[in-house]
Amino acid sequence: MFGKGLIKGLEITWGWLFRKKVTVEYPDKKIVMSPRYHGRFELDQDKCIACGLCANACPNKVIQLEKTKLGKKQILLKYVMRIEYCLFCGYCVEACNKDALKFSSVIDMNQYFRDKVRLTLVDRPAPTPEEIAAAEAEEAAKAAAAQAAAAKAKAKGEEG
Amino acid sequence: MKTQTYTLNLGPQHPSTHGVFQIVLELDGETVVKATPVPGYLHRGIEKLAEARTYAQVIPYTDRMDYMAGMLMNWGYVAAVEKLMGIEVPERAEYIRVIVGELSRIASHLIATGAYAGDIGGLTGFIYTFRDREDILDMLEMISGSRMTFSYFRIGGVAEDFPAEFFPAVKKFIEKFPSCCDEYDGLITGNEIFQVRTKKVGVITPEAAINYSLSGPVLRGSGINYDMRKARPYSVYDRFDFEVPLGCNGDCFDRYRIRILEMRQSLRIVEQALEQLPEGPIMAKVPKVLKPPAGDAYAEIESSKGLFGAYVVSDGSPKPYRVHFRRPSFINLGYLGKLCEGWKIADVIAILGSIDIVLGEVDC
Amino acid sequence: MGENIFTGIASGLSGLLDGAGVPVLWNDVILMVVKLVAILVFILVNALWLVYMERKVAAYVQCRIGPNRVGPKGLLQTAADIGKLLSKEFTWNKYWDIVPYILAPVLIFVPPFMIYAVLPFGENMAAIDMNIGLFYFAAVASLTSIILWAGGWASNNKYSLVGAMRVVAQMVSYELPLVLALLGVVMLTGTLNMSEIVYAQENVWFIFTQPLAFLIYFVAGLAETNRTPFCLVEGESEIIAGPYTEYSGMGFAMFFLTEYASVMLISAMCTVAFLGGWLAPFGLTFIPSWLWFFLKMYVMIFIFMWVRWTYPRLRVDQLMGFGWKVLIPLCLANIFVTGVGMYIYRAIGW
Repeated sequence: MFGKGLIKGLEITWGWLFRKKVTVEYPDKKIVMSPRYHGRFELDQDKCIACGLCANACPNKVIQLEKTKLGKKQILLKYVMRIEYCLFCGYCVEACNKDALKFSSVIDMNQYFRDKVRLTLVDRPAPTPEEIAAAEAEEAAKAAAAQAAAAKAKAKGEEG
Repeated sequence: MKTQTYTLNLGPQHPSTHGVFQIVLELDGETVVKATPVPGYLHRGIEKLAEARTYAQVIPYTDRMDYMAGMLMNWGYVAAVEKLMGIEVPERAEYIRVIVGELSRIASHLIATGAYAGDIGGLTGFIYTFRDREDILDMLEMISGSRMTFSYFRIGGVAEDFPAEFFPAVKKFIEKFPSCCDEYDGLITGNEIFQVRTKKVGVITPEAAINYSLSGPVLRGSGINYDMRKARPYSVYDRFDFEVPLGCNGDCFDRYRIRILEMRQSLRIVEQALEQLPEGPIMAKVPKVLKPPAGDAYAEIESSKGLFGAYVVSDGSPKPYRVHFRRPSFINLGYLGKLCEGWKIADVIAILGSIDIVLGEVDC
Repeated sequence: MGENIFTGIASGLSGLLDGAGVPVLWNDVILMVVKLVAILVFILVNALWLVYMERKVAAYVQCRIGPNRVGPKGLLQTAADIGKLLSKEFTWNKYWDIVPYILAPVLIFVPPFMIYAVLPFGENMAAIDMNIGLFYFAAVASLTSIILWAGGWASNNKYSLVGAMRVVAQMVSYELPLVLALLGVVMLTGTLNMSEIVYAQENVWFIFTQPLAFLIYFVAGLAETNRTPFCLVEGESEIIAGPYTEYSGMGFAMFFLTEYASVMLISAMCTVAFLGGWLAPFGLTFIPSWLWFFLKMYVMIFIFMWVRWTYPRLRVDQLMGFGWKVLIPLCLANIFVTGVGMYIYRAIGW
C-alpha cells in the first residue's frame, strides 16, 4: 500500500527521539584511543642510537635529524618532524629497532601557525669538547671494566 | 517564443558532488541537454609520486585514493607487487586481509548509501549510516591505529596481528549490524518518496554497462553477474559462502539497493572468516629491501566501487619504474555524461550519487 | 486561571488611557499598535525558539544532542547566531539588481506578520477579528512567493534563478489545494471569520469531519512553507538554498526566520481550521484557552519537523504532478462529498 513506507520511516525516527544519544561531548569527555592509535610521536632520547632508519623509512622525508659523535656513541642533536607532511603511516615507528620512536594517543596536534606544526622531539646543544673528552674517558674506563668482567658484560649486552 | 539553453556549473564547490568534482550542465529550464563531467581537481599525481618511493613506501599513498575503503586500495597494490615478486602470503594474513577488507567495504557502502539518502534530501539516513560506520572505524583503529588511512597491508602480509580487544568488538558488530540494515531499509529504501525519486531514473542497460567497462555495484545493478570475488576468486574468497546481489532494472534504486544487500553479504563473509581464522604467521619471508625482478604485473581486486587494478612495472631497482591504478569510480564515471541527458537537475545529483564516486580515487 | 491575562491587559490599558483623558480614537490606535507590536515580538521570539527547536528535534531524531553550549541547554544558541549574523559584513556585487536584492529580505517578513494580525490566539484574542479572515489569509500568504522570487531574480545567480522559478511554480500550484482544503471547512461553517470557525467546532473538531481536507491541508502546507519533502526551493543538495544562495548575514537570517514564522502560521491556521482552535478538549477548561491554542500549534509544528527529518525530497516535475494530478482532484472530490453530505444532513433535518 502506498504510504506504508512513509509511516515506517516516521516510526523509526520517532523511536530514536527518546533513545540514548551517541554523541560524545568532546572537550568534556574524551574517547579513549586504542593502544595502537597513531597519535603524536614520542621519542625516547636515551634509547635512540641516531641510526636514521626512521628517516629512511619515511615516504615523505618528514624526519630530519642531526647527529654527532660522543665517544663511540652517536647521539641526536636535533630530531625534527615536519608533521605537516606526515602521512601517519607508522613506517618510522616500525623501522625503529630500539623501540625509541613511538606513537602516543595524543590527538590534538593542531596549531594556529604553520611553522608551529613542526614537531621538535630533540633539540639539544652540541656537546662541548670537555664533554666529548669526558665521554671518551668514561668509555676507556668502561672498556677496562668490561675486559675485567667480559662474560657478564656480554650477557648484559645481549639483553640490551 | 525564442528560448535558449543555459550553462550551469555544478561544482567543483557543490555539496552533492562528493568532493571537488565539476559537471558542466547545459540546461533547458531544468532539463539537462548536455552534461560534461570535469574531473581532475583533486589530482595529486599519486602514480608519479610512486615512482620516487620504494615499493613499500607506496602503500600509504594508495590509502589516499579511495579513502572510504583504504584497506581495499592497499590490497590492490600489494597484490600486484606480490604477484611481481612471487610472494606466497601466509594463510592467516589472507584471512586478516579478507576481514579488514570486507569491513572496509561495509564502511564504504555505508557512506555510499547514507550520502545517497542525503543527496535525495533525507539527511537523517546520512547520520544513521555514519553512526554505524563509526563502529567499523573503531575496530579498524584497534587493528591498524588509524581511522581512515590505514596503511595496514604490507607486501607479503599485514602489519600487525589482530589485538585481543578486536574479537569481542567485531562479534558485537556482527550481532548488531543486521538490525541497522533493517533500519536503513525502513527509513530510506522503503520510503515511497525515495523510490519515486530513484526508480527508473538513470537506467544503464546491460549492454551499455559492458561497453563502458563499468564495474562493481554499478555493473551489477544492471543485472550482470560479475563480481571478482566470485568470478575469479583471489586470496581466499573461494572458501566463503556468499551471494552476489543483482539488480534487474539498472536504475538508481537498484544500484543503491545492491549496496545494502552487499553489506549483509560482506557481514556473512566476515563472520565465516572469523570462524575459519587459522593460526600462523602474518608476514611472508620478505627481504628488507624489496627488489622485484625486472618485469611487470597486474592484479585486480573487487573494491567497494568496482574492479580496482594495480599495474606495476619494475626495472629491478628498489623503486617501481611505473605504477598505474585502474580506479573503478573514474571508469564508472565515463558514462555519467550520457546518463544525465534528458533528466532534471535533481536527477543529476541522484545519478551521480548512485554511481558512488570518491574524488580521491577519480583524480588519483 | 490566566484565562484573561491578555484580554485583561488590553482592557486595563484601554481603561488607563481612558482615565488619562485620551480621546477614543487615539485610545483605539494606541491599543492596536500595542497589540501589533506584541504580535511582532511574539513572532520574532518564537521564530528564534523554533530554530532552536528544529535543531533539537533534528538532533534527537539523528541520535545527537544538538546545541547545548550557549546558555542553559543551548537555549541562547539562536540568539548568539543572530548576533553573529548581524555583525556580518554586507557584501557588494555589481551583478546584483540591488534594489530588489535588499528589499526582498526586508519585505519577506511582512506577509506572515500581516496574517498574524487576524489569528485568534485565544478566546477574544485576535488583534483584528476580521470577518473575511480565511480569505485574507489565503490572499496574503501567496505574497511570499513574489518576494522570494524577487530575491532570487535579483541575485543574478543561476542557482537562485532556478530556485526562484521553483518558488513561483510550487507556491502557485500548492496555494490551490491549500485553499480548496479550507473550503471544506468554510462550507461546513458558512463563515470566513476565524473566531466563528473555532466556535463551530465546539462539538466536534473538523479534523474528524474533514479528515481528507486536513491531510491535504497538511501536505499543501508543507509545500507552502518549503519544508521537506517539498523543500525544492531550497534543495540544499541540488540548488544549494535556491533564492538564498547569494544572501549572507542578516539577509539570509531574515529568510531563515521567516520560514519558521510561516511554519508557525500554517500550524496556527491548521489549529484554527481543523483542531478546534483554542477550544479545550475533554472539558479541560481550567487550562487557559490561549495555552490550548499554543499546545495544538506546537504539536503541529513538531509534526512538521518530524516529517522534515524523516523524508527525502521530491523532484520538481513530481512535485507539480502531485499537486495538480493528485491533490487538486482530491480537494474537489472532498468539496463534492462535503456538499452532498451537507445536503443529505439537511434533507434528513439534522
